[in-house]
Amino acid sequence: MRKSRAHYWFIGPAVALMILLLIMPVFVAATLSMTDYSLGNSSFNWVGIENYEKLFSRRSYQKMFSASLTYVLLVVPISVALGLGSALLISSLRFGGEMYKAVFFLPVMATLLAMAIVWEFALNPIVGVVNDVLRSGCDKSLVYGLLSGSWLGYEPTTSWYGAACIKKFPLWLGDKQYALGTIAFIGIWQGFGFNMVLYLAGLTSVPRELYHAAHMDGADSAWERFKLVTWPMLGPTNVFVITISSIRSFQVFDTVEALTGGGPSKSTYVMVYAMFEKGVKQNLLGIGSAITIVFLAFVLILTLVQVYFVNRRVHY
Amino acid sequence: MMARANWLGEFFKHSVLLAGAVVVLLPFYLMLSYSLKSPHEIEANVGGFVGSQEIMTDQRCVKAGNPEEDCKMRPIVYNYTAAFKEAPLVRYMLNGVFITVSIFIIQVIVALPCAYALSKLRFWGRDVVFGMVIFCLLIPVHAIALPLYIMLAKVGLTNTYGALIIPWSISVFGIFLMRQFFMTVPDDLIDAARMDGMSEFSIVWQVMLPTAIPALLAFGIFSVVAHWNDYYWPRIVVTGNKDLMTPPLGLRMFKSDMDGNEYGPMMAATTVIVMPLVIVFLLAQRRFIEGITMTGMK
Repeated sequence: MRKSRAHYWFIGPAVALMILLLIMPVFVAATLSMTDYSLGNSSFNWVGIENYEKLFSRRSYQKMFSASLTYVLLVVPISVALGLGSALLISSLRFGGEMYKAVFFLPVMATLLAMAIVWEFALNPIVGVVNDVLRSGCDKSLVYGLLSGSWLGYEPTTSWYGAACIKKFPLWLGDKQYALGTIAFIGIWQGFGFNMVLYLAGLTSVPRELYHAAHMDGADSAWERFKLVTWPMLGPTNVFVITISSIRSFQVFDTVEALTGGGPSKSTYVMVYAMFEKGVKQNLLGIGSAITIVFLAFVLILTLVQVYFVNRRVHY
Repeated sequence: MMARANWLGEFFKHSVLLAGAVVVLLPFYLMLSYSLKSPHEIEANVGGFVGSQEIMTDQRCVKAGNPEEDCKMRPIVYNYTAAFKEAPLVRYMLNGVFITVSIFIIQVIVALPCAYALSKLRFWGRDVVFGMVIFCLLIPVHAIALPLYIMLAKVGLTNTYGALIIPWSISVFGIFLMRQFFMTVPDDLIDAARMDGMSEFSIVWQVMLPTAIPALLAFGIFSVVAHWNDYYWPRIVVTGNKDLMTPPLGLRMFKSDMDGNEYGPMMAATTVIVMPLVIVFLLAQRRFIEGITMTGMK
């Protein structure tokens, strides 16, 4: 290698932009989180940790944490399980695997905001197709019997479906009992295909010989093969998929902003939406920055957990 | 006996996957179907996929004082013309193309030389810079949106194309990806170029760039998809100025401006915005899946 000053020109812009656009904002947020700053005001006051105290004591922020956490706890396990399940099924198919793979990946590609609006129409309590289909099942004794649980000997009207047939089907996005679950459903719908592709990649790296070895040892059923070979070999993929989906679902915003606006009664008031509402809409940048810092801490912890597990478990 | 069990298993797997596919495709089906049908058919949930395509009268057109004859059209024509008339869809799409392409080009101009220096040049502080790249990979761009917004507002850049492009000019992920790729390029190639008297600049753009095309393509797919679909950032820095809106933001405005039963035109607009990426994806599935998953960081 020859002495040259070219590298200054090569790394200069990148380093400058990293400092200006990625590192500095973290410090700006940390500083502003201890003030009552608003855009347009010429000065601001230092308030110390008051913003953080608010975050951890006020009821509306408790709702924020619980909404974010519930969302993550709903979306991550289900989308990981669906991703793994569909990957296992697809990889064992004789034909048609590529087609399912493309179909399940489609939502990952499609503009989430646009698809959220379509889901909103589909879930509309009056003209929406979902409740329409559910309602139409009430008159059909076979569907009704199956869904209301009367085939198991339960009293049909005590089941969720039976009761809904008599009264009405949920408002989905307008009912605080269902809103977060519905938003989570859209998140799962959108994200499990991504997990599926990661699992498919993980599955191809499992050595064939291990299956033969398991067969020799008498592991014949699909379940035994999965338990003995596939699952342990997927360890690193699991860690990666779980952290990536946790971080992605912590960042949920589009569906909440477009469909519920954090409501009803703050049931879908997730962190990134709260950051947007406080900081941008209400110009309360101090509290917005405090949410930013707490959010960053969460994501950082998740990443460190991932690094810990990868270092511990990646070698066999 | 064995063959029959396999056949049954295969049948079972396909049924499960097909049921999943129906749920996954439901909103795409509805979107296309609603964009074709008349308001009446949408509300009553009749007419199958395309509807009856009976001639309908555009009530708004009549109210605007046009003769009724000129306002009669097929629902599909009504939906799509209304979508383009009521919202500056073309403008949104052009904005989307301009912004995503600019972002990608700037990201490459910044990241490629840096990745080259980090992988092929030896200089003081190289490990520090690489450490910085790794550190920055940990910062989710979603999370620092608020301070970035404040900084842009302070220099008066909100509601400009600059606000939509500048924050994305640095892609630490791009640097990381390109560096890993360049590590696999043999040093001999670069030495030979130096022997020929090429400057370091020409090496980056005339030797390294062409070898990096496959990695760049994957990165490009990732970058374009992420920024075409991004709603969060444009929502923060663009307030009300329709000339600057990206497709998702424009669609959101369309939704809030819409009066009640404009489902048809609304879904037509949605289709126009969603379909370009979906079609390209279906044509080049493998590359897309690779490009988006190799990244994972977002």
